[in-house]
Amino acid sequence: MHEVSIALNLLEIITTQCRKEGYSRIDAVRIKIGRASGIMPDALAFAFGAIKGDSIAETALLEIEEVPLTGSCRDCSAVFTTEAEYILECPSCNSASFSITAGRELDIIDMEVS
Amino acid sequence: MKVKVVTKILEANDRIAVENRRLFDHAGVFVINLMSGPGAGKTSLLEQTLTQTISQKTDLKIGVVEGDIAGTDDAERIERFGAPVVQINTGGACHLDANMIYEVLGDLPLVSLDILFIENVGNLVCPAEFKVGENMKVMLLSVTEGHDKPLKYPLMFQESSALVINKVDLAPYTNVDMTKIKKDALSLNPKLKIFEVSCRTGEGIADWIAWLTEISKKA
Repeated sequence: MHEVSIALNLLEIITTQCRKEGYSRIDAVRIKIGRASGIMPDALAFAFGAIKGDSIAETALLEIEEVPLTGSCRDCSAVFTTEAEYILECPSCNSASFSITAGRELDIIDMEVS
Repeated sequence: MKVKVVTKILEANDRIAVENRRLFDHAGVFVINLMSGPGAGKTSLLEQTLTQTISQKTDLKIGVVEGDIAGTDDAERIERFGAPVVQINTGGACHLDANMIYEVLGDLPLVSLDILFIENVGNLVCPAEFKVGENMKVMLLSVTEGHDKPLKYPLMFQESSALVINKVDLAPYTNVDMTKIKKDALSLNPKLKIFEVSCRTGEGIADWIAWLTEISKKA
């Protein structure tokens, strides 16, 4: 729902970093979005495309890696991954005691600059 | 040329949230980020909380930040109780962020408060993702919204420390399955503290205030 404000944060971070490194153009940026982050990749890609004009990232390609939700069971130590946006119980032993180990990401990995 | 960035996209927000939290801790105020969909009764819960803390003569000092896309109706409802209140209009944004809170901190007598409620914009999705510097998140769900909400909006149920189920006086007139709400919410978050209240009749508010009094002592 707030993909535009996420895109603005992203643009601010990468343009600042690019100038700091002494480059003048961003050609590509790679980010990770967790399935349980609440952010829709398509909507974020659209928002980024809409706001990047007139910036040093004007021609930048946005590459999104989606991270599935992964949990680790505190009772039976099973590690499990799901395509869903939430986990209710360990699929091996049905325990409700587990920790989320991946799937909440909203991170920048790297970018290609010139 | 490839450049490693390795930054959280919300890093700037999280940094300001940490600073807000430092100021709250310094002032000794316990801060609750209050979230729900529109119309679940966030402002009504605050009105009932103020009504009953005033009538019970508890010495709980409550302040409120009202977050809305537009208007000052909610702040006016709180002001009637003589509680310190600040209205933030997000001008379209679907959630409050840490910087919006930072900007209004100077307008609140933080040192004299026990609890500061930050009433977020009515929305079951986005507010859960933005830290504002709170000690805990509390969410409301009203029975008229239906029992399917925990599984449709899991993030907010997972991020909250307490769930207040409001409008329980209306439950007999709806097809809501209260057991399912509680079961699904606890499956998503086994540590969730659940209150069942009616802000219209005042039912259940005493337990909620007793809990608030207890947790606010931790600040």
